Amino acid sequence: MALLNLSTAILFIIFAGANMLCLIFRRADTGLSMAEKLAMAYGLGIGFISLEMLALSLLKMRFTFFNIAAPWLVILIANVILLSKKAPGHSIKPDLSAKDDSKILVLKIVLQAGIALEIFYAFFRALIKPIESYDAVAIYAIKSKIFYLAGIIPSDYFTALAKHFPHPDYPLNIPLIETFIYLTLASLNDALVKIVFPLYFIGTLAMLYFAVRRFANSNYALIFTFMLATIPQFNAYACNAYIDLPLAFYCFTSAIFLFEYFRDRTRIHFMVLSAVMAALAGWTKNEGLMYCAAYIVTMIIYFAFNLKKSSVKDIISALLYVIIIAAISVPWLLIKKIFGLVNNDMGLMDMSPASLVNNIYKLGPIFYEFQKELFGPKKWNIFWAAAACIFIIRIKAAFSGHRRYVTITLFLIISGYVLAYMVSPIDIRFFLAKTWSRFLVQFLPIAVYWLALMLKDDIDL
Amino acid sequence: MARLIVFYAVFAAWVVMWGWFLVREVFVKGAIKDYKVLISRPLEGRRAYVTKDNLYEFLTFCRENLPRDSSYSLVGPEPGAIERVRAVYYLYPRIESTDPQYILVYGTPGVGHEGYRLIKKLDDSRYMLKKIEG
Repeated sequence: MALLNLSTAILFIIFAGANMLCLIFRRADTGLSMAEKLAMAYGLGIGFISLEMLALSLLKMRFTFFNIAAPWLVILIANVILLSKKAPGHSIKPDLSAKDDSKILVLKIVLQAGIALEIFYAFFRALIKPIESYDAVAIYAIKSKIFYLAGIIPSDYFTALAKHFPHPDYPLNIPLIETFIYLTLASLNDALVKIVFPLYFIGTLAMLYFAVRRFANSNYALIFTFMLATIPQFNAYACNAYIDLPLAFYCFTSAIFLFEYFRDRTRIHFMVLSAVMAALAGWTKNEGLMYCAAYIVTMIIYFAFNLKKSSVKDIISALLYVIIIAAISVPWLLIKKIFGLVNNDMGLMDMSPASLVNNIYKLGPIFYEFQKELFGPKKWNIFWAAAACIFIIRIKAAFSGHRRYVTITLFLIISGYVLAYMVSPIDIRFFLAKTWSRFLVQFLPIAVYWLALMLKDDIDL
Repeated sequence: MARLIVFYAVFAAWVVMWGWFLVREVFVKGAIKDYKVLISRPLEGRRAYVTKDNLYEFLTFCRENLPRDSSYSLVGPEPGAIERVRAVYYLYPRIESTDPQYILVYGTPGVGHEGYRLIKKLDDSRYMLKKIEG
């Protein structure tokens, strides 16, 4: 019975997300494969159901399956009406623009088997244990327990209750979706609720595969999907109920659709999807807001490079990007401001130039910790070492053509983390030791995609 | 051709390291022992296993004997320790307080507190004190 209820919860999440995809694309060709649509529907479903639950609480409406499901039925009816008006003969084709001329079948089978093994192991490790890792319990699971037992976000949660527990300012995307799953299970089953995380793992792998498939054959795409799946730190975060892997999913999908929009600016829906996923990254973890800023700056840089080819429509698109991010992010930011929800560790950050100068000594420990991870095979296999080598050998190529936007994005992201480390009041060595290997998980899929782009002319499979 | 050879060499190294890390985690570091125990237990038993049976038994004892809206202070686990974090999670909706109705003592025999009396105990190192009214 529990598994049936769990399946119902997951199917409903995908149903809600599919509705959002329909709303975004309306009658346009999505250009996405079925696996990409499922992955996107999953991420969108989680993000918008949790936002809906926040809204329900603010309206003093209790979390019941009916209260949560009802608005989606209305959206479904709207989508059915919109889709029924499609022009005759309209078809949706996946955008697999690269010819599949994969030659080596044995390689394909080995890679698929490896990926399947890691997926199976991620599910096994996630579901065999209840939530037990430090942050997973202290920051997220306690919140979902509070919300589930109250049947709502309690009226005194923001004013009093939240301050009893660490990081009251952390966004509520994952705690609320955990609450939704408890609701559907009708019990606080903190083992089964962890299914959320390996599903994000599969979603990220699927998105990476099809993103690489757009410029390479299936063997090549499988290589990098296998690479990501088998990086120990990444697959570990598929089962420990930390939020870094869900954040990685939103950051990666946002980046991919932004880069695809740069390739073909008629695909305005990819730009919209990128903005939505960036905003949901900010709704998942505070670092997501940094990714929003990085992507906005990347967009500005893109238009600066392509000023002559840009039009007023493109400027409006860029503004729309910012507006969409703001529209989804502002409600939670307002709640934090109104109720004074402050991060105990980051609330005292001084971002002034003087502070940066005073903290320049922190660059030493920061780069020391960075190089430690570079040569840390137990967590990363040889990925970061390989990526660093390729960057040094191919530095000109990294900043040429379409690749430069991916490289620039990665630089902006890493710079954001360096800035946060420099201005944080926390002891730098302690802060780095506790967080840097987790922060690397957050942009790892983008880095793997970057490596795939860099090597595509070298490897013929 | 040279690039393909380099690629296959790096790929082979990757696969060997991946295989070794997997085997190391499951067999050398003993995750398989944990999996065997976890598979054999129901959910409650798994919670006890990850929390440590001794602590979980005490938390269950506290949950059965503390009113749901009560406040407590936990003596024993270090501040910031994973045991304390898990205790807070499992004991909710009971809330930690600086002026608690109950003091929960874990792993520390002979703890007393002025204004509190012993009301129940699991054993000499796991017991509950209650604030004396009036």
